[in-house]
Amino acid sequence: MRSGSLRTYSIAASTSMRERLAYPGNFAGSMFTYALFVFIFSRVWAGAYAGATEIAGYTMRMAVWYFIIAEIPSFGFGRFFWTLSRDMKSGQVAYLLARPYDFVSYNYAEKLGGSLAEAGVILAEGIAVGLLLVGLPPAAAPGAAGLASALSEAGRLGFLVVSLLLAGTLNYFLQAALAMTAFWPEENEAFFWIFQKLTLVVGTLIPIEFLPRWAARLAVWTPFPYLSYAPARIAVAFSLPEALSLVARQSLWIFAAVFLARAVFSFGSRRLSVNGG
Amino acid sequence: MGTIRMARPLGRIRAYARFMGAAFAFNLKATLEYRVNFVLQFFGMLLNNAAFAAFWMVLIERTGAVGGYGFSDVMLVWAFVSTSFGLAHIVFGNVRHLGRIVMEGGLDVYLLQPKDVWVNVLSSRTIVSAWGDFAYGFIVLALTSGTDLQRFALFAALAVPGALIFAATFAAAESLAFFMGNSSAVSSALTEFMLSFSLYPEGIYGPGMRWALYSIVPSGFVAFMPLRVFKSLDWGLVPVLCLVAAVYVGLSYGLFRLGLGRYESGNRMDARV
Amino acid sequence: MAAIVADRLSKTFSTRVRPAGRLSALRSFLRPENRDVEAVKGVSFEVGEGEVVAFLGPNGAGKSTTIKMLMGILRPSGGSASVLGLDPVRDRLELSRCVGAVFGQKSQLWFHLPPSDSFRLLGAIYEIDDDDRKWREAELIERFGLAPFWDVPVRKLSLGERIRCEIAASLLPAPLVLFLDEPTIGLDVVAKREIRQLLADAARIDDTTVFMTSHDMGDIEKVCKRAIIIHHGEVVVDETMKDLRHRALSKKYVGVRYASPVNLDLPSLSPVKRTAVAASYEVDTREHSLAEVVRALAAKGELEDITVEDEPLENVIAGIYSARTGAEAQAFGTGLPGAGRAAPEALGA
Repeated sequence: MRSGSLRTYSIAASTSMRERLAYPGNFAGSMFTYALFVFIFSRVWAGAYAGATEIAGYTMRMAVWYFIIAEIPSFGFGRFFWTLSRDMKSGQVAYLLARPYDFVSYNYAEKLGGSLAEAGVILAEGIAVGLLLVGLPPAAAPGAAGLASALSEAGRLGFLVVSLLLAGTLNYFLQAALAMTAFWPEENEAFFWIFQKLTLVVGTLIPIEFLPRWAARLAVWTPFPYLSYAPARIAVAFSLPEALSLVARQSLWIFAAVFLARAVFSFGSRRLSVNGG
Repeated sequence: MGTIRMARPLGRIRAYARFMGAAFAFNLKATLEYRVNFVLQFFGMLLNNAAFAAFWMVLIERTGAVGGYGFSDVMLVWAFVSTSFGLAHIVFGNVRHLGRIVMEGGLDVYLLQPKDVWVNVLSSRTIVSAWGDFAYGFIVLALTSGTDLQRFALFAALAVPGALIFAATFAAAESLAFFMGNSSAVSSALTEFMLSFSLYPEGIYGPGMRWALYSIVPSGFVAFMPLRVFKSLDWGLVPVLCLVAAVYVGLSYGLFRLGLGRYESGNRMDARV
Repeated sequence: MAAIVADRLSKTFSTRVRPAGRLSALRSFLRPENRDVEAVKGVSFEVGEGEVVAFLGPNGAGKSTTIKMLMGILRPSGGSASVLGLDPVRDRLELSRCVGAVFGQKSQLWFHLPPSDSFRLLGAIYEIDDDDRKWREAELIERFGLAPFWDVPVRKLSLGERIRCEIAASLLPAPLVLFLDEPTIGLDVVAKREIRQLLADAARIDDTTVFMTSHDMGDIEKVCKRAIIIHHGEVVVDETMKDLRHRALSKKYVGVRYASPVNLDLPSLSPVKRTAVAASYEVDTREHSLAEVVRALAAKGELEDITVEDEPLENVIAGIYSARTGAEAQAFGTGLPGAGRAAPEALGA
């Protein structure tokens, strides 16, 4: 049985967003770390491109912009696991479960809503830092001018935003599936660490194209590239067919992840063992 | 505050060594109480470091040396930073909590005990995950340099001043809490600065940056210089690094004493934040 | 009709046991050993509509587990529960519309936002339309005195103010049953008194069935009409507060003070505390006549003061809690066999 209307979920998302914005000081730490990372990586890429103008199809400017966008999901959407695990282990989940809504959807609305505030701030910061360090990102349609150029820039921006939202959604459902294994009494943090590090290596620190060919081929069949590679690729090497394909693959993985999260929830809540006592 | 006795270094070194040994043993026992947690954190740390190793392997495979460092150089820099950082947090576990302790008036406990406040507060805790960092350096060393005993000895000898420099700079950043209302943001930014800059090749930073990396953010002394010393097997520079470490410790200690003069246990921040 | 029915409700948790000795973590990983812990063993009771019941028991007795089963959050291992005629697990969503909950140590309010925002979201969750919500809010603001901090972020409220908001929030959807888990924990005397009054009002005005746990005797005596005590996972007492108090009435504390020193021992009754001129006695009225004791004391010398007090309810409950078995706890203070004074040191007597 489904319950809760779209209105409930949108109010949950906006309340949670305002809760995060009520304390902008909260963002200072991650904004600082993010800027530091972007700066250091711009130096790393400068070092790597000392003897080459293009590596694996990326110029240095593309590589830096790639990193700027690929890190946004880690900073904006990287903590769902911890907040949900904390709710479950502290027993706060007792409130969350005893309400007339669909738990998985409600939590998605609430958690994603809160994280959008942070992701937006980081995105704005990333654009500013990127402009400062390496200038404009490469044009969406090199060679085009006037209206055509403006259209493709708008298209890229649209796809970028959609792809970032999908990356956040996919992040949420995968992390929720991992976090809800806390219904079983075992330690579950190790799963998340492995997930987090794979995300880092597969498409966040470095574009997929840099990986050895076999690894890159394998990677596209895992969900990891769709957490950070997809939006970053759209930002630095926009083409309509590829953007469509990336967004479609992100959506497919979201379907799979929603199914997985719901399965874990329905098995887990059946043998619930949250802090009794 | 004038009643606090300064430790006379030479006469009391033995007493302090015994005290720190006892604190260390106590902390170790406390750590072992949470074995599962310990094992998890240990492997978590290894996994984290392995992720970055994979990144460097992929990148250097593509580009050749970056900033003058090959893959094994980057790995050794990680080894030095990891082991020194780990050692600093194993022995001086409170080093990144000092600011909070000062702000919350938590120094009172230590002021009442007949031991130097700085040493006492820093060593009265140990960080579980630091053991993973500590061990990681040796694992990398074994993988890159085999079982050459001399290299292991040199590595260990270089990690000790490294740990002291880490501890001294972190403690100095945290000591800012004496001088500003809420220093936690500044302190954690400084510590992050120090750690992050140390983990990348020296050559990627411009000359201006490099000045900073051998002074206010001493990445040079915990990562870049140890690497050069290690590669050239130059034991002669070990005492130099120890001297550098002594200077950092002295400065950090001085800053703490200066701050302690302004310490008011009553300035406990509102705990409901 | 009964609002809450628990019928031989039980819950067994399976916890992992770590074997002792070396490499224990590794061995338990390779060959996990589980041990079943019976948190609740066959608890049965009924609570009528509009009743206000205290659900008591020492820490670890199974109170929260029982409440969570009644709310459909935990699935019972055995027996059955029914709340408002619904099966809590099967009909969780339907039930959750008519049930409210307050857990003293957890918060349902958003920390950095004012209560008004949390109420708005709760209104949406319970699908109350905006007009109804505003009307209901106005009533709760009035009753709970929330107006001064209605637009102040929750983090700036005192604990007492926060709990007032929590309870008001849980009453927003006008629940038919309200579960409270230690609602007054950590509050000062004045705030506790306010909360108790508000809870008693909620039961009276909204005709809400209230089912609350607490360790505070004041909460229980002031708010509840009936007490269910569970211990070692079983119901050991289920009676009205009046009956429970009767258990206390069989024991009186008599205190005397004389103008000059006298022999303070009575035949067959020694003081439990004494100085040269004053003493206090514990009188079990099933063994001694209170009138005779007082007469005998008055005959001993010139009395300056005499007091007769009931045993505090807290002692009765402490006695029940400190019982080692369910049967011992049931018998406590009733004069039945096995009644004895279980672990008197726990009574602070």
